[in-house]
Amino acid sequence: MKKAIIPAIIILVLALVIAVGSQTFLGACVHEDGSFGACHWAARAILGEGALLAVLAALAMALKKERAGLYLAMAPASLLGMLTPGTLIAICGMDTMRCRMLMRPAMLILFGIALLAALVGWLAARKEK
Amino acid sequence: MSMVLRAENLSKQYFRKTGQANCFYAVKDASLALNSGEVTVLMGRSGSGKTTLLHMLSGLLTPTEGKVWLGETDVYGLNDKALSRLRNGKLGVIPQGRSAIDTLTALENILLPAQLAGKGGDIEAAKRWMAALGIEHLSDAMPAELSGGELRRMAIARALAQAPEVILADEPTGDLDDENTERVLTVLRDTAKSDGRAVLIVSHDSEAARYADHVYRMDGGELSPARTTGMN
Amino acid sequence: MGTGKLPIKNLLRKPGRTCALVLLTAFLALAVFGGSVVVRSLRGGLNSLEARLGADIIVVPGEMASKVDLKELFLQGTVGEYYMKASALDKVREVEGVEIAAPQTYLTSLKADCCAVKVQIIGIDPGVDFTVKPWIDRSLSRDLGDMELAVGCKVSTGVGENLRIYDRSCRVVAKLAETGTGFDTAVYCNMDTMKTLLAAAEEKGIVHRLTSDNGDRISAIYVKVAPGYDVSDIEVRLAAHVRKTKTVRTRTMITDVSESLAGIARTVSLLAVAVWALAFVVLLIAFAMMIAERRREFAVLRLLGTSRGGLTGLILTETALCSLAGGLLGVGVASLAVFPFTTLIESRLGLPYLTPSTGTVLALAGTTLLVTLLVGAIASAFAAWRLSRVDPGTTLREGA
Repeated sequence: MKKAIIPAIIILVLALVIAVGSQTFLGACVHEDGSFGACHWAARAILGEGALLAVLAALAMALKKERAGLYLAMAPASLLGMLTPGTLIAICGMDTMRCRMLMRPAMLILFGIALLAALVGWLAARKEK
Repeated sequence: MSMVLRAENLSKQYFRKTGQANCFYAVKDASLALNSGEVTVLMGRSGSGKTTLLHMLSGLLTPTEGKVWLGETDVYGLNDKALSRLRNGKLGVIPQGRSAIDTLTALENILLPAQLAGKGGDIEAAKRWMAALGIEHLSDAMPAELSGGELRRMAIARALAQAPEVILADEPTGDLDDENTERVLTVLRDTAKSDGRAVLIVSHDSEAARYADHVYRMDGGELSPARTTGMN
Repeated sequence: MGTGKLPIKNLLRKPGRTCALVLLTAFLALAVFGGSVVVRSLRGGLNSLEARLGADIIVVPGEMASKVDLKELFLQGTVGEYYMKASALDKVREVEGVEIAAPQTYLTSLKADCCAVKVQIIGIDPGVDFTVKPWIDRSLSRDLGDMELAVGCKVSTGVGENLRIYDRSCRVVAKLAETGTGFDTAVYCNMDTMKTLLAAAEEKGIVHRLTSDNGDRISAIYVKVAPGYDVSDIEVRLAAHVRKTKTVRTRTMITDVSESLAGIARTVSLLAVAVWALAFVVLLIAFAMMIAERRREFAVLRLLGTSRGGLTGLILTETALCSLAGGLLGVGVASLAVFPFTTLIESRLGLPYLTPSTGTVLALAGTTLLVTLLVGAIASAFAAWRLSRVDPGTTLREGA
């Protein structure tokens, strides 16, 4: 069945949005004086996690045999992404800062959907065997 | 042998939307009786009113004039609920064309009338009828996967599984090859003879007449007896 | 005649058709729920702004471009550094008809501990303040001590932590309830603390010394007019008696905000209604088309002994299940789009925005589900009614 690929496609798209977004439209606060806030480093970590997730998703699409295992790996990777801004890596202190208004909620939602998709994909891939 | 279904001076008038003579009879003043244990075949060209008559006999089409009696019951005197229950329990109708519910498997389709009545349905009997019609291997197939002939036989099996008093079949051999035509007609005749059902077959195929106790002919909405055979 | 599990099988085994109907209703629910939450939040924000502006008149330094800057403070939480001498307060109190005059002093930090964000510091006089004080009282049972801060809910520094402002360390002792206004991003201290901070800011050259400095500076005086006096009369008297100041009537400021809010609320409601009407019409057409497409299927069900009522029940059950799924999906998506981004919406709209209570949100969600169910039921009941008026025999003949 091809159905087990669908979550991987969704995750791949999400991961690309996360990776690109973390450096652009969903990214960290921009300071007038060119200095970096803590959120800058959170965004860098998210870039890496997004890229990792994208690679895992692409592999899951290509490798039928390893699909279930790859999905299983994507779940904690997504969780890591959800926890990165604010929990594992500090972000800015004011709720009105961009990283708090936009980056963190957006990442929670995007990684959250990826986490759900990974679990659904894992179940589908297991059935496939 | 008793009279089960009786049509009394049935007429169906239609109004054409165009033309001057905007009123015509699809069926005019037709009287007919179906007896239990007998096969009646109704022949005629297409457009002669055969299907209209069958629909009126099945309680699906309100006649303009005349009455239909099932035993002592005036079919069109019933309210919708009672008439529906009657169709479900006593009349097995095989309509022309596709009549499968696309979202149910072949077996589920055959069990559907029983389920509509709130019963589980007799799976063994359903499978027996499928076997008799040569479609027992298609239980779990969806209608979209079936050929025209297989769908036809599924509809016949569904009517038979209802265990009705009367079977009304509209072109039951329409999509079938010779072998299956013979099989279907045999099954219909056998159920009339051994289960005491009244069977009406509407067909333009003269082959059907060979299985008939009575043959009627329909021409321009007028019904006339062709012959009474005694093949058996 | 019961149709049993038929509706569920019909939905599950025609995933394309089901998805289309679910998405349509989801769209409807999204518009209804999202729209009403945003409109409610704007109203909530206005109410809480009114409560924070309990004063009748605000007296500000003459050089302040009064209305514009004050609005900035209330909506975005930033204001420039403008000061008047403390003597202005005595002058205001001299005016007959002034019941209470409460001073506030504003200072903007350049770099507080929490990243490089400007924090608005508001110094109040706990003895006389009647606008901010009642709000602080809800979170702190005593008055603010020296070098103690109460922080708005959108400042992330927690109670018990220290906040460094101009190299002075202040202890956060209270976190305030959300107001949905610029007050949420400010920190509050007493006048003595403010004096210390102002001195620190002077050292850094951020704030210029007042020419005849006695250490007391005031940014605004909140005036409550005594009962029986006309507010505009007092405003005229204040302008005449206290020099180099401007007066702002809070009523006009709130009216300003409430006007732009009414505009946005109208736009949002209009959009929601437009989407709603569109979705309703599309749903009507979709259901009519779906039922027309399935005429033969329904005629077969009638042939097999389903009554008119049974068939209507089948159609309504299918519709209800679709509507429920679509409604839940729409409410869920709207929730994900609206609630995590509350602060973003507030800053983009530039208006006070206070999310309604959980109870209200749940009630709105319930109403939305009810509305989608009702729309689906109306749309399909109409189509089902038309269907039941035709003899099944007639339908079976068509395109057999």
